[in-house]
Amino acid sequence: MEAHARLFGLHLVLFWLSLFAYGAEAGLQLGRVSSGSPFRSALFAGLVLHGLFLALRWGITGHAPMAGLFESLTVFSFCSALAAFLLCRTEGTRASWKPLSILIVLPQAGAALLDKRLTPLYPALDTPWFAAHVGLSFLGYGMFAAGLALAWVYLREGGEEIYRAGALSALYGFSAFSAGMVCGGIWAFYAWGSYWIWTPKEIWSVVLWLYFATLTHLKYIPAGSGWPGWSRRMEMGATAAGYFVMLSTFLGVSLLLRSSHSF
Amino acid sequence: MMAVWRFFTSHKTCAWTGLAFCLAGAAGSVVMGRYPELFSDMDAGILADWFARKGLIAPAPTLWLYGLLLATALMTANAACCTAERLVQIFRGKVTLRRLLPHVMHVAFLGVVLSHLVSSLYGDRIHGVAVPQGGFAHVGSTGWILSLDRFDAVMAPVFHEGYGIYIKNFGATPWGAPFAVFDANRDPGAVAILVSSVLFTVANLIYLLPARREDA
Repeated sequence: MEAHARLFGLHLVLFWLSLFAYGAEAGLQLGRVSSGSPFRSALFAGLVLHGLFLALRWGITGHAPMAGLFESLTVFSFCSALAAFLLCRTEGTRASWKPLSILIVLPQAGAALLDKRLTPLYPALDTPWFAAHVGLSFLGYGMFAAGLALAWVYLREGGEEIYRAGALSALYGFSAFSAGMVCGGIWAFYAWGSYWIWTPKEIWSVVLWLYFATLTHLKYIPAGSGWPGWSRRMEMGATAAGYFVMLSTFLGVSLLLRSSHSF
Repeated sequence: MMAVWRFFTSHKTCAWTGLAFCLAGAAGSVVMGRYPELFSDMDAGILADWFARKGLIAPAPTLWLYGLLLATALMTANAACCTAERLVQIFRGKVTLRRLLPHVMHVAFLGVVLSHLVSSLYGDRIHGVAVPQGGFAHVGSTGWILSLDRFDAVMAPVFHEGYGIYIKNFGATPWGAPFAVFDANRDPGAVAILVSSVLFTVANLIYLLPARREDA
């Protein structure tokens, strides 16, 4: 019992340290202080501490720490930080760390305000499909966060490398989210008897999926070929807007509308 | 005729129908909450039956669903025509996996939509079969009898003659006897949806590999 309490305390320390590191990165970015190598940054330290926190919480509870608002927000923050290293670690894309570090620290700071107690998982959720469904969906969300940051920088400063990374964020995020939806459908069919139910969350998930599916097609519309005359700027604008479609799906629907995924 | 074909193979059609779907879905998620008496039994039966009953008697609150179905139909036709046209072009020129993969994803998407249509037309939902522990109950009009020897809250579903039987709820009667409530669902398109979605995911993941190499 005492060991359990110590582990619980340690995992909270890791949570607060990761929040501090993310906050430090955001502060340094806003103060225009660059760390040089991305792997010597406060963001990297935060990512490692955050990963340890999640692994420890997973070990203590025995299930993937992805249930409830606290765990959802902190996993979202972790996946956004991970996306920074998957998509924006080169010299040409590092400018996106300034907005991205804010997008990483905000959900973690929001999670810090919530109840962090360990809760048992509802029996139907206790399957590997749950971890795969939620984990892949959040990986997609993290990529969409990186997409907003990259699109923001592209719309202000331009740049071929930023554009390519922004386009990849939509493609990778769509792919991860897509795979997450498939896992969710398999799990729901096995657990609830139906891969689909009509609730706002399910509808918004398909809206998000289709939004990014459509977005990946838009680059094939040549600029100037009739209104609206698609261009890279509009593509990046749509990539940035995709973050808010994701936010509506993740938080808006779950907090404001009655749904199977309400917190 | 050519204008119609161009419309159905155009990326712009994809863009506009995608946008229409998103707007209809967003509107629907709000409208559903405003009219719970209309939408609460949407999952109690198959969509075709529900829509035949409610879609016509309340066209205004279900307008978003008409839009959603129309956008889905247009998008499906768009994906089918696009793939038909591009495959002809691909097989006339150099055939590479990279060029084929988007159309494998289109075919998988078509598989999901059409299988879902089959389930929405020919599926079946039998709700709320309450069985006391040690007792039995009839399963809708199937002629089957469901008996419950022993109750476990994490019971796995049972599959029988195309139906999946799932535990939906459980509890105890006022005099303390445990009971469970079951749903029996038949989704004739479910296996095809699973195969199509896995095909989509695999094609999607393979498509990412060269892209990553190009950007390395």
